Amino acid sequence: MSAEGTPRIRPVPLRLRLDPFTEDEIERIHSATLRVLERTGMHIRSPRLVKELERAGAIADHEALRVRLPAEVVEEAIRLAPLTYRLAGRDPDCDIVLDGANSYLTLDGCASDLVDLETGLRRSSTKADLERATRLADAVPEITIIWQPVAAQDQLTAVQPLHEMHAQLTNTSKHIQQMTAIDPHNARGIVEMARIAVGGERALRERPILSAFQCTLSPLTIDGDPLEAALVYAEAGVPCGWVSMPLMTATAPTTPAGTVVITNAELLGAMAVVQLLVPGAPTFYGVCTSTMDLQSGSIANAFGPEEQFFSFACGQLARRYGVPSELGTFGTGAKTQDWQAGAQNMLSGLVSYLAGGDMLCASGTIYAGSVFAFETVILDSELVDIIRFMNEGMSVTDEDLAVDVIEDVGPGGHFLAHPHTLANMRRGWQPRYFDRGTWEEWEAAGRPSPRDRANERARQLVAEHVPLPLDNGVEEQLLEVIETHRKEAEGADHG
Amino acid sequence: MDERILALREALYALDEATAVGITGELIGGGAAPQEVLQQGLAEAMLEIGRRWNAGDVFLPEVVAAAEIFKKCNEIVEPALIAAGGKTLGHKVVMATVKGDLHDLGKNMVGAMMKTAGFEVHDLGKDVPTERIVEAVRDMEPTIVGLSSLLTTTVPEQRNVIKALEEAGLRRAVKVMVGGAPVTEEWATEIGADGFAPNAPEAVKLALQLAGSERPEA
Repeated sequence: MSAEGTPRIRPVPLRLRLDPFTEDEIERIHSATLRVLERTGMHIRSPRLVKELERAGAIADHEALRVRLPAEVVEEAIRLAPLTYRLAGRDPDCDIVLDGANSYLTLDGCASDLVDLETGLRRSSTKADLERATRLADAVPEITIIWQPVAAQDQLTAVQPLHEMHAQLTNTSKHIQQMTAIDPHNARGIVEMARIAVGGERALRERPILSAFQCTLSPLTIDGDPLEAALVYAEAGVPCGWVSMPLMTATAPTTPAGTVVITNAELLGAMAVVQLLVPGAPTFYGVCTSTMDLQSGSIANAFGPEEQFFSFACGQLARRYGVPSELGTFGTGAKTQDWQAGAQNMLSGLVSYLAGGDMLCASGTIYAGSVFAFETVILDSELVDIIRFMNEGMSVTDEDLAVDVIEDVGPGGHFLAHPHTLANMRRGWQPRYFDRGTWEEWEAAGRPSPRDRANERARQLVAEHVPLPLDNGVEEQLLEVIETHRKEAEGADHG
Repeated sequence: MDERILALREALYALDEATAVGITGELIGGGAAPQEVLQQGLAEAMLEIGRRWNAGDVFLPEVVAAAEIFKKCNEIVEPALIAAGGKTLGHKVVMATVKGDLHDLGKNMVGAMMKTAGFEVHDLGKDVPTERIVEAVRDMEPTIVGLSSLLTTTVPEQRNVIKALEEAGLRRAVKVMVGGAPVTEEWATEIGADGFAPNAPEAVKLALQLAGSERPEA
């Protein structure tokens, strides 16, 4: 593979689509959701915003900070959200457009631990780890959107998200989707840094090299700080989605359909709230809904069929609402890159593509999203490559049907050296990490697993890949932003 | 033994709140020894539910449901118990989700499972300021304090609580357990906690170890 021939990003065309739920079933979920938003409503932990929402048409209980949203208010608000928009890269070759034509894979986030690339041992993450992980993802074309794979836990907590932004702007020119700034102060700092990197406020509106998301708190709660942060982004023209991550049986009903209702209610509610306050702000519908292990109460490491229901249903719902979706992908409870990880990642990878996710989240973690592993990014890229190849489809032109070639070779011959073979065989799929050697080769090499090859490749990319540098003087300005915010945070602490 | 005590246990196994609360009310109202209602009735039922959980016959949501019924019944027993000057259960555990964090699911699960091992659980709730945790440790003198946080940005609060306990001269009087998604053994050691557990069942094992008790035989 020549370096020149490798594209910066490799999206997956959305050609295969499965809509397993009937229109009637989707409408039943939709109307159940509207009933929940109108009857139960949401707990919004900001007295100021509850007042503003009341002015915009919500029914507010100021004491309980409960906001009930009438169906027509929700439906009108959601209509204001744009269907299609661009997510830019610092490198224009990394620009993507969310328009339903392609699916884009994100790097995972935000783990507090990682598997050390050298020792293979689990440990707590630092800013240097985030730099390495970001650089790796910058080099892997299947990763098109960059989350924060690990937290910069060795930095001052109050400005940790700004350090994470610094680590990423200096190590990738792909689109950054920020998930760790969950308060307005850090969100403002992040916006400031993105403006510096892209050349100002207007430049960021025209070429948003940054998007973000905030999480709801299941069931049916939006905390004040994340909502304020979402508004900071919305006002700056930075697309900001919402991600709901209820746990079936614990923070959502024990039935998959009831869990979809909670997910849908939180996302519709949160998106409507932002549309009521900043009409037309680009947003997206993010789903990381999962199941609980009945015995231990932990998030189920056995990601299985129910998670696939969530992807299918939510993909259909997002299309019904005309907003881009970001669907949970590559959820595994495995502790290393083994049979379980491979099976679970291929299942959820394939399903989230079939479900038509505009963005697929996310690649790079094991142990239910809590441990980042470099090798997983590499091995996931192989799975995505298979799915991309399948989605591109089998061509059925005359050249592909090869009737003349078959006539040429005739019964009993072979196709190996035929010009048609030599001209077309490289169109076929080629494995990079699946083991295709013989038993003897495997023994001679010390019984390596795909993980070993991935480890080698990850080390090589981390060591050799050179990300597109920032313009002169930009990094100094980014560090100044962190310093200013650090002083403010310290002042606030002592004040 | 009063057969109503046995009926109380059965009501807990059946997760029948109305019956359990009714029997408890009758027993206490009728002058039964509150210590016996608590120990032989409620606490024994929770221990048995713990044994059934261990055997895989009962799932965690059922333990949580039983713990909630336990709490309702205990509200009836406690005033009588205090009036009679009786002892409460064995080891006390104070639990809290630390300041800045609203995620209390894991802590609630741990609290419920602790009851199946005979602990007396005092739950301070979520987003709990450090001072309140210190105050609770001073007032209730628990054997163990359990601190939970889900966010990488709130985990450092666990360290602050331990520091505050040290400053208040209470650190040596109590064992500190920490938990939550970003929490690891390494972190627990670094901040000077006495232990960490990755989920509710493991937390119970750890608590028994820290309290120097054994899980009752199955």
